[in-house]
Amino acid sequence: MTIPRPPRLFQRFFEWYCKDTLQETILGDLEEQFFEDLDSYGSWKAKRRFAWNVIRFFRPGIIRSIKKTQKFNTMDMFKNYVKVASRNLVRNRLYATIKISGLAIGIAACLLITLFVIEELNHDNYYPKADQIHRLINRYDDPVNSGKWTAHPPMVASMMEELFPEIEKAGRLIPYDWYFAGKNQVRRIDRIQNSYEEGFVYADQSLLEILSVPMVYGSIDNALSEPNSIVITRRKAEKYFPGEDPVGKTLILDEVEDRPWTIGGVIENFPTNSHLQPFNFFLTLAGEEFWEGEQTSWCCSNYNVYLMLQPRVDPGVLANKMKTLMTDYYVPYLEKRGDQDAENVAMYQGYELQAISDLYLKSGDIGDIIKTSDIKIVWLFGSIAIFVLLLAAINFINLSTAKSANRAKEVGLRKVVGSFRLHLIQQFLTESIIITFISVLLGIILAWGTLSLFNQIAGKSLVMPWLAWWFVPGLTALTLLVGLLSGLYPAIYLSAYSPLEVIRGRLSQGSKSSRLRGAMVVFQFTTSIILIVASIVVYRQMDFILNKELGYEKDHVLMIQGANTLGDKLESFQNELMNIPEVVSVSVSNYLPVSGTKRDQNAFWKDGRSKLDKGVGAQIWRVDKNYLETMGMKIVEGRDLDPSLVSDSSSMLINQKMAKDLGLDDPIGKKIQNWETWTVVGVVEDFHFNTIRYGIRPLAMVVGRFGDVVPIKIKTDEMQKTLASINEIWDEFMPHQPIRYNFMDDVYESMYADVARTGNVFTAFSILAIVVACMGLFGLSAFMVEQRSKEISIRKVLGASLNQIVNLLTTNFLWLILISLTIAIPIGWYLMMLWLEDFTYRIEMGWVTYLIAGAIVIIISFATVSFESIKAALINPASSLRSE
Amino acid sequence: MGKTTYLGEFEELILTMVLILDDNAYGNSIVKAILEHQQRDVNLSAVHITLYRLEEKGYLESSMGGATNERGGRKKRYFRITNAGKALLQEMKDARLNLWKIAPQLNFSA
Repeated sequence: MTIPRPPRLFQRFFEWYCKDTLQETILGDLEEQFFEDLDSYGSWKAKRRFAWNVIRFFRPGIIRSIKKTQKFNTMDMFKNYVKVASRNLVRNRLYATIKISGLAIGIAACLLITLFVIEELNHDNYYPKADQIHRLINRYDDPVNSGKWTAHPPMVASMMEELFPEIEKAGRLIPYDWYFAGKNQVRRIDRIQNSYEEGFVYADQSLLEILSVPMVYGSIDNALSEPNSIVITRRKAEKYFPGEDPVGKTLILDEVEDRPWTIGGVIENFPTNSHLQPFNFFLTLAGEEFWEGEQTSWCCSNYNVYLMLQPRVDPGVLANKMKTLMTDYYVPYLEKRGDQDAENVAMYQGYELQAISDLYLKSGDIGDIIKTSDIKIVWLFGSIAIFVLLLAAINFINLSTAKSANRAKEVGLRKVVGSFRLHLIQQFLTESIIITFISVLLGIILAWGTLSLFNQIAGKSLVMPWLAWWFVPGLTALTLLVGLLSGLYPAIYLSAYSPLEVIRGRLSQGSKSSRLRGAMVVFQFTTSIILIVASIVVYRQMDFILNKELGYEKDHVLMIQGANTLGDKLESFQNELMNIPEVVSVSVSNYLPVSGTKRDQNAFWKDGRSKLDKGVGAQIWRVDKNYLETMGMKIVEGRDLDPSLVSDSSSMLINQKMAKDLGLDDPIGKKIQNWETWTVVGVVEDFHFNTIRYGIRPLAMVVGRFGDVVPIKIKTDEMQKTLASINEIWDEFMPHQPIRYNFMDDVYESMYADVARTGNVFTAFSILAIVVACMGLFGLSAFMVEQRSKEISIRKVLGASLNQIVNLLTTNFLWLILISLTIAIPIGWYLMMLWLEDFTYRIEMGWVTYLIAGAIVIIISFATVSFESIKAALINPASSLRSE
Repeated sequence: MGKTTYLGEFEELILTMVLILDDNAYGNSIVKAILEHQQRDVNLSAVHITLYRLEEKGYLESSMGGATNERGGRKKRYFRITNAGKALLQEMKDARLNLWKIAPQLNFSA
């Protein structure tokens, strides 16, 4: 039988809390009592009394004081760490500079991109009831075709509100160029001078209520409820009615004086993270009917619909329920019209609800005019920033471990006088956190200084959020994180030195981890090369886009905008312009092959087959007699339209693609129909009128005489003079409306602003990456040279040439670069293939790209490495051997 | 000792017990002695705390010794009363007696 012992757990507990000086006697007393109790009461009670006694001893006077044990020397050691760290920084200025500036660059990049990502992720989430606001999306999904779009027939909004109790409110918006929506000349009714304004939309009164827009003047309950009322934003109110309350005042749009617009209210400017930010003028839809019967017809889908759901309604369930609206009303309409699509619509078309906060980043697959971004861009930016930070952290790790030999004696000595490994790790982590802290400060300054540049590249208007609640804690967390991340490996590595080895001088100088350092250098350069490849590919694609044969000539074409106000004076204006000797031709149209101009999609059939075949969707453009000449488009068959022929009012020019899609082998003279019948008189060569991401689609041209835009083909490079003459003529005709024009090639280029922006981002970051990587490489090569200075001197004494020495010192590094190239090329190739897949017309990714990228990297890195090598090779051998 | 020091009842009891136990005063023996002479079960921790406090005040001194098997080989801390401690006990006793002298004579037989 074993003798019972005092309960172990309580004994442990006692030993843990009791002062060392008291422990022995008290524990002795406790145990003595335990054995006495054991004799008189038995084991169970003795144990209980022991436990109870231990608990009773847990009181002041017995418990070891926290202060006394911690008093140790932590604070003093910490001060010592800081002192040693700062001495080290000062002693190794070069390496400290490389570490700190590299990290600062990485942190600045990270910071800027964090600002960007925060703004992107916080789009359209600020409305008071944002989680209840949804946008109504059409979804079509048959086995072959699929698509999503936002435009609905006019009555859908009010019907939804009536049919489904889950919907609290529905509101419509027309954000396209449509009647007065889009851009207009604007003036107060009591002024004559017009100003050009963009950002006109049609909206329902209920839309203001759904979005709970804050009002500056007027009431949100009736700002748009009267016909012909208009709501403007604060910035426009300040422009047209400085210092007054404009409610009830009147604006004239585009000189249409018989239809004045009365201001019903002034709203606060939409913030930059709202998709409605570009819009400044909200025209009411109350009482609006764009043509007879428009408001009650299912024919035409022109309205975006916003829905405010009741709280806690599941949008997915509701969207499925909404399908009944389509089957009960829209499908019968199509059937009645004898439309081929009725069956497909009934089967494959439905509704979806998109949360308003998803509108900005998750509309990639939705056909929509609203300016949106893509979650992919956020990922791209974010991952690049993290990579740059990683590259900088690698510099830190590499230089710390490389220079470790210099710290080895310190480590050894510290261990001899009693440092534990943990203390040394603490010391090195403190050092790295100090360095990171300096870098973060510098990084913030750097980010602040480059913010405007970054805004330009990213197309944003970000500001430094000095006062945001997360700013200081976030940066502190970043400092600790980066400090730990980059300091941990060196700390573990450095603290592992055995004091004996170090003091005997057995330590080979920093060579132990050279393989790992090599791997990290390879990682840095692989990343840099991929970024360089990406920038080259994007730039080549952009160049390809800008110089592609488009089927029309975009250069030297001036487009006078807002010419619709000329009215009947148009023709004499055109004739005046033709008198300028540099002007080749003058046209007029709303339809031009660049973005920002009108589009009109129709379904066409061969004559008489509209009930039998599937329609061919085609643009129908109204153009005047000089259009083809001004645009430089070519007729490949037949003849141009001739407005002077009465019969040509029903004649049509089609493009090659349309002829093909309609199956017309010999199109001249054939008849085709949409709601009227047309005779094909000519075929125009295919030209790109959408972005060249997509292929060329069918297009038809018919005779038109009026339009917003007057394109002018000019033959000279002496633009200034010609512009002056054009301006003069305009002022004669339209003294109250300033001329507004742009160049077609500029507009074309702006269609690809996103591509240019991607290119800029890649370039900026590949420059950063290569700079950071080269800084690290420079540090490592300087270190290598320092280590081998005696060897170099002896070699020189023995007759080695400059060349041989430089070769000796650079080969190692060049090998690393070559390895990086072989890794980076396939990865870069794969990634850029994915990117290029978005373009129907794209460049071939030839070997030239890689040759350029490789050459750039090899030249830059060779220059970096050889700088120190040549310096070492030129030094007088005596100076480094003397000390021996 | 310019200032008069007062002891609490429990402190006085412990101090007296140390005086009584003479050479054998340590935590456990004091607990047992109090139980024996006063039929009062005091807690070991209270005794220890009081001993240390009295030592700090200079009325007790201690020395280590007397490890036994029952204690797992641990030493005892033996306490002895100092001269200051004896003087204080004496003073307290005299003060009390003086008080009793001036108290009105109670007639128990009345």
